Amino acid sequence: MRPFRSASDQPPGSPAPRWVGAGALPPYNQPALKLLIVGCGRVGSQLAAEMDRAGHEVVIIDRDPNQFSRAASRGVLTNDFKGNQVVGNGTDADVLRRAGVEDADGFVAVTEGDNRNIMASQIAKHIFKVPRVVARIYDPERAEAYEKLGLHTICPTIEGAKAIEKTLLEKK
Amino acid sequence: MIVVGGGTVGYYMSRDLLERGHEVTLIERDARRAEWLETQLGSIVMRGDGCEVKFLSQTGIERADAIVAVTADDEDNLIALQMAKRHFKVKKTIARVNNPSNVEIFKTLGVDEAVSATEVLLGALEPPITR
Repeated sequence: MRPFRSASDQPPGSPAPRWVGAGALPPYNQPALKLLIVGCGRVGSQLAAEMDRAGHEVVIIDRDPNQFSRAASRGVLTNDFKGNQVVGNGTDADVLRRAGVEDADGFVAVTEGDNRNIMASQIAKHIFKVPRVVARIYDPERAEAYEKLGLHTICPTIEGAKAIEKTLLEKK
Repeated sequence: MIVVGGGTVGYYMSRDLLERGHEVTLIERDARRAEWLETQLGSIVMRGDGCEVKFLSQTGIERADAIVAVTADDEDNLIALQMAKRHFKVKKTIARVNNPSNVEIFKTLGVDEAVSATEVLLGALEPPITR
């Protein structure tokens, strides 16, 4: 369930409403971002669809072409997705370059492999100087180590456990 | 010396280093492969993930003069060496890379030496074949 109504609730092709709230279209409060997402699993495809609907320019990369059709069959990356889908290895600088990493505003690495996410993010951050880079790292130790090195990391293991713990301890 | 990855390259490297009289620890993630390596090389083989700090700290890495990462996956080699460098201050970190363009990338990301077999083989074709 979406907490606020937004332009994305409108059928594709309809004019953007003026009343948009928290999930506002970028032109009203911020410019559209060019975003590169590596990994078309559940998180990657969901994020790609959301950011695309919010008006951002999205390129999603996966080395397995079947991942795109899987996402489509889950109803996530459907025909109305306006972004680009690139088949290739997200730790390969040439693949990233072809996907437009050189003018990307944001970069997200959410493949199944912690090491692949770390490597892809470091290439984006240190080689291509992408201003906003986020890496998902399941291993808490590795996440902490790379957070200390200045990589923005999300550790679903710790965050998930914390969220569950909070729910369990909440007073009714 | 620490060798990460007990594939063909890691096996022959470790054997050679041992013959030259070095103290070697060979790290292999796969249990069956590690067992086989142990039958060939003895107790220098440790089964575990060379990217995990806790495991690395049990390998004697603090005393290592160099660490060589030779798995078939560039990303695993990079992370193992970054951990070795940043956590354990290993002086020399050497990587095998499969994608030649990773040679420069690895150096930018803090690896001391990166060797691409692909690049070496291409170099063997020099002078370039012309039509």
